[in-house]
Amino acid sequence: MDDYKFLFKVVLVGNAGVGKTCLVRRFTQGLFPPGQGATIGVDFMIKTVEVEGEKVKLQIWDTAGQERFRSITQSYYRSAHALILVYDISCQPTFDCLPDWLREIEEYASSKVLRILVGNKIDRDDREIPTHVGEDFAARHNMYFLETSAKEADNVEKLFMQIAEDLMEQARSKDLPRYDTSTANIDSRTSTIGDSSCCGKLI
Amino acid sequence: MEEKEMSKFVTQQAYIDGKIRALSKMIPQLKIIHKDAESLVTTINHISESSEKISGKIRELDTAREKVEECQKRVSDLIDLELCSQGVQKAIYDEDYEQGAALVHRFLSIDQSVVKQTASDFEKVAGVLKSVRTLQDAASQLREIVKHKFGDAVKTQDLHSIERFFKIFPLIGMHEEGITDFCQYLCTKLEDAAQKNLQTALNTPAGDKRYPVIYADTLTLLYEGVARMVNVHQPLIETYYGPGKLIAAVNILQKECDNQTRRIMSEFCKTRNINKKMTQINEISRMSSSSSFSKLEKIDPKDLDVLIGEMTLMHSKIELYIKFVKSKITTDLDVGISDLDERSKNIDKLEQLIKNSQVSQSKHELLGYYLRMEQYYMEESITKAVNLDTAEQGQHTSSMVDDTFFIIRKCIRRSISSGSLDGICAIINNACRVLESDFCNILRSKLKQGYPSGYLDLTQAYNVLQSSIQQGRLQPGDTEVARTAFVVALNNADSCTYYVDALCDRVMLEIEQAMPTMKENDRGKLESCLSGLSSVTATLKDVIEYGLQQLRASAIKPRVHPWIDSFMSINHEMTEDELSAYDAGETFVQTLIMNLESLLAPFKEVLTPSNYDSLVGVVTNEVITRFEKIVFKTTFNRLGGLVLDKEVRSLAGYLTTSTSWSLRDKFARLTQIATVLNLEKVSEISDYWGDHDGALMWRLTPSELRNVMALRIDFKIEDIRRLKL
Repeated sequence: MDDYKFLFKVVLVGNAGVGKTCLVRRFTQGLFPPGQGATIGVDFMIKTVEVEGEKVKLQIWDTAGQERFRSITQSYYRSAHALILVYDISCQPTFDCLPDWLREIEEYASSKVLRILVGNKIDRDDREIPTHVGEDFAARHNMYFLETSAKEADNVEKLFMQIAEDLMEQARSKDLPRYDTSTANIDSRTSTIGDSSCCGKLI
Repeated sequence: MEEKEMSKFVTQQAYIDGKIRALSKMIPQLKIIHKDAESLVTTINHISESSEKISGKIRELDTAREKVEECQKRVSDLIDLELCSQGVQKAIYDEDYEQGAALVHRFLSIDQSVVKQTASDFEKVAGVLKSVRTLQDAASQLREIVKHKFGDAVKTQDLHSIERFFKIFPLIGMHEEGITDFCQYLCTKLEDAAQKNLQTALNTPAGDKRYPVIYADTLTLLYEGVARMVNVHQPLIETYYGPGKLIAAVNILQKECDNQTRRIMSEFCKTRNINKKMTQINEISRMSSSSSFSKLEKIDPKDLDVLIGEMTLMHSKIELYIKFVKSKITTDLDVGISDLDERSKNIDKLEQLIKNSQVSQSKHELLGYYLRMEQYYMEESITKAVNLDTAEQGQHTSSMVDDTFFIIRKCIRRSISSGSLDGICAIINNACRVLESDFCNILRSKLKQGYPSGYLDLTQAYNVLQSSIQQGRLQPGDTEVARTAFVVALNNADSCTYYVDALCDRVMLEIEQAMPTMKENDRGKLESCLSGLSSVTATLKDVIEYGLQQLRASAIKPRVHPWIDSFMSINHEMTEDELSAYDAGETFVQTLIMNLESLLAPFKEVLTPSNYDSLVGVVTNEVITRFEKIVFKTTFNRLGGLVLDKEVRSLAGYLTTSTSWSLRDKFARLTQIATVLNLEKVSEISDYWGDHDGALMWRLTPSELRNVMALRIDFKIEDIRRLKL
């Protein structure tokens, strides 16, 4: 049996070919598989990490970027704890589509979802979107921002670990008072805060 | 001493002499042995030399024999060459192409470089070169003829000749052309049949029984056609072209299959108005999410029912076809290609072939349409079910619960029949969203209306009566209607929790039956989505809790408080006489229990057992907290404490038996307070407090305990203060 204190769902979205699958593979398997081909529907990976001595299970949903899979991928937004919106820093159109993606997120995801903007492929030297442009966009839309390279393993670990830490923080701060009030008396000692079964409804 | 030694030597002399004599006799013999040994060495040397010579000869002989054999083969090749070249022309002339091809095949199997070398080695055999040239000419001639003849045969639909030349191709080294030409021929047949089938489909009258699924039928015919072709021709290809060649054949057939799939899909979209429906659905959902404009013409979900069914059928047919192709080719590759690298390369090719095919594209498109429509169907049908909600008298729940779960189950089942795991997961996710937000919100908003307490002031009551009389009928009051609505909503939420659990279990079972060979990763996906669905119960429990709090605020609190508060009007500093008078009359707790009974009884009828239990829990909490507060506002003497202790016990007894779960724990504090107030003297507390066997598990803090003790007018404050707790 796998034991973990927290379970978080992380969903990656963004145009086709920006490197969502590569980011996930790099993080979960330490690989950079070239010539992957487009993802079909949704892919699903699990990695358990340790944050402040606690086991955190990350359920990572890697969605297809292509339009025709939209009705599949959209159905995963709602239960996501974190949404990673990825674009390719060497491809302007993938950046131009970000507002459309945000609209989708607005429509389908929970309003409290943690949102992260990621500019991928910083190993490439044909950059089209300067870092500060991505930063500005993220700041304007209240998102975290990070530039990564799945190929060189730059910032990939950091990206997911940051998410795990933030979500854990969130879960703890939101959950504690709630449990305190609902079981105000004697039982409060026995109700554990983040046991695996209740994480789904934390956020 | 010396003499002794000397005499010893003298006595040994005779013995030593004897020995010397014997040795000198042996010398000539040793000389002979030495000579013999030398001659032995030379002999051995000789033997080894000659044996080496012999083995060398044998080696030479071996090479010689190999050369002879090679020579023989060359000679036989040359003879065959000669024969072939003589026969081939005749065969071609006689149109005996099998014979000709067999001869060319023999020629091709001869190592041509060696033949040429042989020819140059023996200039005299100039005929060899000639033969080679003849055969080469014949081969190319034959190739052209066969290709041409095959083309003619295709044109004239001469099945016999088609098969005949199909078998000849590989003999004259035209494997690729053979497969290509033959499969292209098969493609034309495929096209003809598909066109005919599509035409029949288009001509099917709307009243026909198959009309609603005519496109699924047409796709089925197409894929069955391709599958039949593969099944029929695979043995031929394997026999004449060798195993491992099926992928090349299917690669060509797939192109036509793609074309036909595209045609059918486009006719399907046209006839069934897919694009219009999709736009309409998208617009409706955009409207309803942004505002309450319902001017838009809505599609009746019922009208989509049949179409959705057809789409899942189409999708499952495509899925089935892809599975067929995959397994056929994989088996052929496993048999035909032993090199693992080569095989995995071919398997990659197969994956690409399928991934890039129109069939896959169509499958994804279809799934996209299906999911969007199914989602709409689910949402709209549930809205309908909610709007048409009726509560039968005597039923705990109303029709919308059964209806909603019927719809969800139907949608999930339909997704299972599509054969797409991603589709199933998406529908489960959607169902989860509809239940958790839309459905729970409806329940919540019904509970938000609250439970009318029934305390009408006079004017209100008068107005209700008047309006009822004016309408000519005396209806059950509005209050009654509102109460029923509230209770039903609360029960609905409760029964939904059971429905959700049952749904999850059954869905998992059904999927396992439908997809027995699920991959580990797919299973993980599915389980995650299902766990999302089952967590809807948590939201439902929140809704129930919300309802109970509503009930508490309007129906319980305002009534329970005055009942408890009447405790204060009773003097708890009693004399013996007062106590017996009190016991003889109607005591506080008797009245309270009677009142609680009258409060709870009507609910017992109308609430689900689990909701009723929760209600009793809420009532109990309310009674206990209020009671505790009131106790602190009262003063007691010994007898008053005795009365309280008795009353708390019978109250706890009553409420505990009212539910199926134990509430005794909730009473712990109150019971302990009563125990303290019932003490004979202050010091008696040590029987209960401390670190010994008789001690209680205290729910009161030491300071609380002191405060309770202070309520006893006969306990001295100093005694209490002096207690060591």
